[in-house]
Amino acid sequence: MQVTIPGDVKELVAKRGLKESDIVDVVNTAEKEKKYLKKGNDALAKKRIGDIMVYVMCDLSGKGTAVVKTAYSHKMNLGKVVNLMSESEWKTADGKPVSDGHIEVEYMTVRRNAPALVVPETGDAFLEEYLAVKTIAAAEGLFEKKRA
Amino acid sequence: MNKVIGHTNSLCPKCLRTIPATKIAEDDKVYLIKECPEHGTEKVLIWKGVEDYLDMKRYASVPVRPAKVAVKETGNCPNICGLCPDHIQNTCLVVMEITNGCNLKCPLCFASANERYRFNPSLEVIRGMYQTILDYVEHPICVQISGGEPTIRDDLPDIIRMGKEMGIDHIELNTNGVRLADDIEFLKNVKKAGVDTLYFSFDGLQGEIYKQTCGRDLLDKKLKCIENCEKVGMGITLVCVVSPNINLDRVGEIIDFAKSKVPTVKGVHFQPLAYFGRFPITPKDSDRVTIPDLLREIEEQTKGELRVDNFIPTSCANIHCDAKSMSVVMEDGSLFPLTSRALGPPKDTSTIANKTRKEIADLWRFVEDSLIIDEEDDKSNEWGDFVDRAKTNYLTVSTMAFQDAWTSETERFANCCIHTVTPDGKLIPFCLFNINSQDGKTLYRHEMWAKFSEK
Repeated sequence: MQVTIPGDVKELVAKRGLKESDIVDVVNTAEKEKKYLKKGNDALAKKRIGDIMVYVMCDLSGKGTAVVKTAYSHKMNLGKVVNLMSESEWKTADGKPVSDGHIEVEYMTVRRNAPALVVPETGDAFLEEYLAVKTIAAAEGLFEKKRA
Repeated sequence: MNKVIGHTNSLCPKCLRTIPATKIAEDDKVYLIKECPEHGTEKVLIWKGVEDYLDMKRYASVPVRPAKVAVKETGNCPNICGLCPDHIQNTCLVVMEITNGCNLKCPLCFASANERYRFNPSLEVIRGMYQTILDYVEHPICVQISGGEPTIRDDLPDIIRMGKEMGIDHIELNTNGVRLADDIEFLKNVKKAGVDTLYFSFDGLQGEIYKQTCGRDLLDKKLKCIENCEKVGMGITLVCVVSPNINLDRVGEIIDFAKSKVPTVKGVHFQPLAYFGRFPITPKDSDRVTIPDLLREIEEQTKGELRVDNFIPTSCANIHCDAKSMSVVMEDGSLFPLTSRALGPPKDTSTIANKTRKEIADLWRFVEDSLIIDEEDDKSNEWGDFVDRAKTNYLTVSTMAFQDAWTSETERFANCCIHTVTPDGKLIPFCLFNINSQDGKTLYRHEMWAKFSEK
């Protein structure tokens, strides 16, 4: 899979402290294992790299090419599914349903529920960008700030 | 069996001469041993737990020297101070005294208020002290207006306003709260003038405690002051002097009380009694509370809600000067500590004084409102609630062990980040400014204030 990162996205991921090589790694691993979510031409993949979970959303409309639309990350650990709500617009790579729901998210011994996209069959969960770059980042910052 | 673990310089408690001192480990305690050629040998307890004392070294910061200092002479610490080029840490908080008068005469008083002379600097002299601070300290600049008791000055609101207009970023008021309890209008004026928080002496919840620390039962006044602060929206840090002879067995209930007054009460700051200023005894080791003593009592009396492990040195002052914890007060009233030694020392200590100043000025400014998302009802986000709660419902519990002539170490003076400003354009480490000998002689306080007092 050819992974392309447009200039404005490169700028964004650099600002978020992500490495381009990690983004390529996330896409290639997801493609190889066929473990990602799909909505139309969009795909959402994730991979734990070191102590962070890296997410990449890309456009798969070009054959054999993934054009990265955005990437984000969090340090928190994803835990067990708390509840499932309605079916979302996302599907798994092999076409199975994905629900909106809540999962446990843990950081430095604090465990709280957070909304997530959940694969009911496997319990695999994805945090969406709006949450990861705002509230989750703020909570992580709160803990990190105490160390600084 | 004892072992030498370090060398420093200290002061003779009888004549304040600078003398060499050796740190020894003995029976899992750390002592300073020093010998004055005229007054003999002193052995003073400074820490309990040798491993813990040595372990603190991992929290030592990369020192950042003040950008400018007022004194050129070097190699004569602590006798020529102002600061000098030997000083290794820049300022995080400036103490500015605006009177040595007080509406109390406490048996314990670091400032020896109401003694010897009348120091009540004019607004022009105070303007000069603000200017010294602006000349030597980097923004954000945090000033503690102190005394004596600063609220006895009717022009206190003018003094506060002047500081804010000149560019001081954060002003806290060190007060016994007596006038603020009796006169809520004055409290409102002080707040309107720009005071950000009160640094409020609060030694416990029993009248008997105040009879020992302040000479009379002040509990009702203390509670009334807090009530008035709740009414006008003034944040408070409760400042509690701690002595094994007075209230060390009461620290848990003070923390419990503080929790019940959050968010008006922002923190509890325990100050183990240091023997400078006015104090009634010549201290023995059994009259001292070391930082480890205090933290163990907090752990025991809060039944582990706050553990010793939750307290870390700020890394701004010397690592053996202070410790702090930060907790969110949860919905059920319990403390959720955010600080832990298990997290390790700070990653970047090169700008620690700057960070400390920002933290004093506004602890939670870094959590921007825009980062908190209002979720739809069916997508409730407990992490958002947690962050939201943390912004207002938090409690710091901290301690600073001030040095007196017995416990003094020049390496701690040189690392100090809390400085008293003087009318002649100097900044002097707070402890050093206040230290006096057994018979009352000081190196700085009385000499300085007498020079600028009313004739």
